Amino acid sequence: MSENKELFDLTEKLSKLCGTSGDEGAVRDFISSRIPAGCTVTTDSIGNLIVFKKGAQTPAKKIMYCAHMDEVGFIVTYVCEDGRLKFAPVGGISSSVVFGRRVVFANGTVGVIAAKALHQLTSDEEEKQPKIEDLAIDIGAENAEEARKYADQGDFCYFMGSYEEFGDGFIKGKALDDRAGCAVMLTMLNEELPYDAYFVFTVQEEIGTRGAQCAAFTVKPDIAVILETTTACDIAGSEDEKEVCRLGEGVVVSFMDRSTIYDRELYRLARRAADDIGVKNQTKSLIAGGNDSGAVHKAVGGVRTAALSVPTRYLHSPSCVMKKEDVTAVLDTARELLKRLGELQ
Amino acid sequence: MDEILEKLCAANGVSGAEDGACEAARALLAQYAPDAAADRFGCVTGFIGDRNNGKPTVMLEAHIDEIGFIVTYIDEDGFLKVGNCGGTDRRLYAAQTVNVHCESGDIRGVICTLPPHVAADNKDKTQKTSDIAIDVGFPSREAAEKVVSPGDRVTIDNRLAKLAGTRRTAKALDDRAGVAAVLHALELVKGRELPYNIEVLFASQEEVGSRGAIISAFNSRADIALATDVSFAYTSDAKKHECGVMGKGAMIGVSPVLDREITVELKKLAADKKIPFQTEVMGRSTGTDADDISVSHGGIRTALISIPLKYMHTPVEVIDTVDVEAVGRLMAAFLTGGEGDV
Repeated sequence: MSENKELFDLTEKLSKLCGTSGDEGAVRDFISSRIPAGCTVTTDSIGNLIVFKKGAQTPAKKIMYCAHMDEVGFIVTYVCEDGRLKFAPVGGISSSVVFGRRVVFANGTVGVIAAKALHQLTSDEEEKQPKIEDLAIDIGAENAEEARKYADQGDFCYFMGSYEEFGDGFIKGKALDDRAGCAVMLTMLNEELPYDAYFVFTVQEEIGTRGAQCAAFTVKPDIAVILETTTACDIAGSEDEKEVCRLGEGVVVSFMDRSTIYDRELYRLARRAADDIGVKNQTKSLIAGGNDSGAVHKAVGGVRTAALSVPTRYLHSPSCVMKKEDVTAVLDTARELLKRLGELQ
Repeated sequence: MDEILEKLCAANGVSGAEDGACEAARALLAQYAPDAAADRFGCVTGFIGDRNNGKPTVMLEAHIDEIGFIVTYIDEDGFLKVGNCGGTDRRLYAAQTVNVHCESGDIRGVICTLPPHVAADNKDKTQKTSDIAIDVGFPSREAAEKVVSPGDRVTIDNRLAKLAGTRRTAKALDDRAGVAAVLHALELVKGRELPYNIEVLFASQEEVGSRGAIISAFNSRADIALATDVSFAYTSDAKKHECGVMGKGAMIGVSPVLDREITVELKKLAADKKIPFQTEVMGRSTGTDADDISVSHGGIRTALISIPLKYMHTPVEVIDTVDVEAVGRLMAAFLTGGEGDV
């Protein structure tokens, strides 16, 4: 059984940090500070944190684990005369999770995103979800000059989403995509490993798996395991295959998504590894989503790739929801898989 | 002001279940009106003065309830279906963190809405309240029912936060900002000899049709009422002539249902005392408790002073404390009969 307390302590701390694509510094600093002595640690030019840890044996195939540090966020594109800040989403964010939210800047400035009151809407407007390009951040400034004292063009800002446990073993928070994966890797890094492995904390996943592309070139692995989160739609009003995957049903091992057809043997190996150690596992019932695998499996002449994901509700919102036992299932499976990958010739 | 707003907005009081907000307001009111109490209809009342001194009585009124949801059904997978208490904004439902106020205490939840791959044809449409559910992290109806019951209220959580300058954001500033303005007025006239007795009413169920104000005004012995609520502050997508301007002071309401003489008196006082004010003209009734208070008994002479607020009925309502203070000062100026500073 895993050390749950340590894993979820890390998950909580990582979830609270702010780091969207291109602004991962705070996350990278935290992770660096938790890497044990004896590892080889480098930060490459794009910002990936590449960690090599010796294990009991050197495997025949070079193995790389990946999780991304960045989260979705916002960047200020323009300061309006009336003091509002126009913005663009960094990564894919639906307007419906932006409207009516608070955001926070690195300097502590708080802003809100909304529009005229519902009482003032025409009946047509009432039916329409406002588009992101029509929204702006209100930091309470009366004009552009006052606004610039608090925030300016090019500044990043973030959802304000508290990290909390609730219900029957559930957690919610912002940025759990993919800080949960980072927490799993950090936990593994602090254990004795059966085989040597690279652990790469990547940047810029949310804007096109750009960090992973560079990291794969640098590490040149034979085998890659991507630790991620994936959309679960096991909610009211959704049934059967449209649920995609379910919370509480364990690690999600993917056979295909929109960016990758996963290595068939590794897919089977991962599911068997989970089965053998009594860890719940499932796969996705819809070809949807994508992750760093898309860049990694095509790199350096081809890398055999598998993805282990935490089923997650409400991805890319301030309230991502997971079940703790599924995060633990990803950790247990990732560990067991390393043993079996090390045995591959 | 921040401390009072923080206390009032942190408290919960969805229409018909105002207890938390009532207790917060009662505790603050008790500093000025020792008999302050909440009644079984969710209203808080207090009296300052002497019923036998022959002076006329002025009621200061704000509503204590806030918009929210009410649990209507728990489905077999443990998700909660809800209905509206007041007009909630349909544009902001997805993935909001909520508190469900259960008998045994509050629990957390997240509003779930179907993602695009499942509800592809509805992508650009706002959600109906009947389409959403609340995820409280229980796997079954049986597990959820141990904690949650139909009738429990739900709020979207947001404590008070500072924005630039004197602007603030929180849930429920509609109308806790009004409650804060009344308390500010009482602070300003504290210990002074006044030409009036004061009745305070923080009324319940405004958001579902001013029901608390109707109930409580019947028991009132006020001759004059000064009601305060929030009104629309201009945002760039709205019509200028339908809005006040944030930071420009108390919005003195002019409407056929409001008392003309008192309204004129308020404007004069504001000008004399250099209290920032603006005029809000309404062609008919006001959509606030003032409408019902003014026809209570044989009629109570009623005026309305509003606080400009942005993003009404969202969890990110914004006010400027300058405006809240202006409303409080104007009420205080009226209570003193224009004598002395406020």
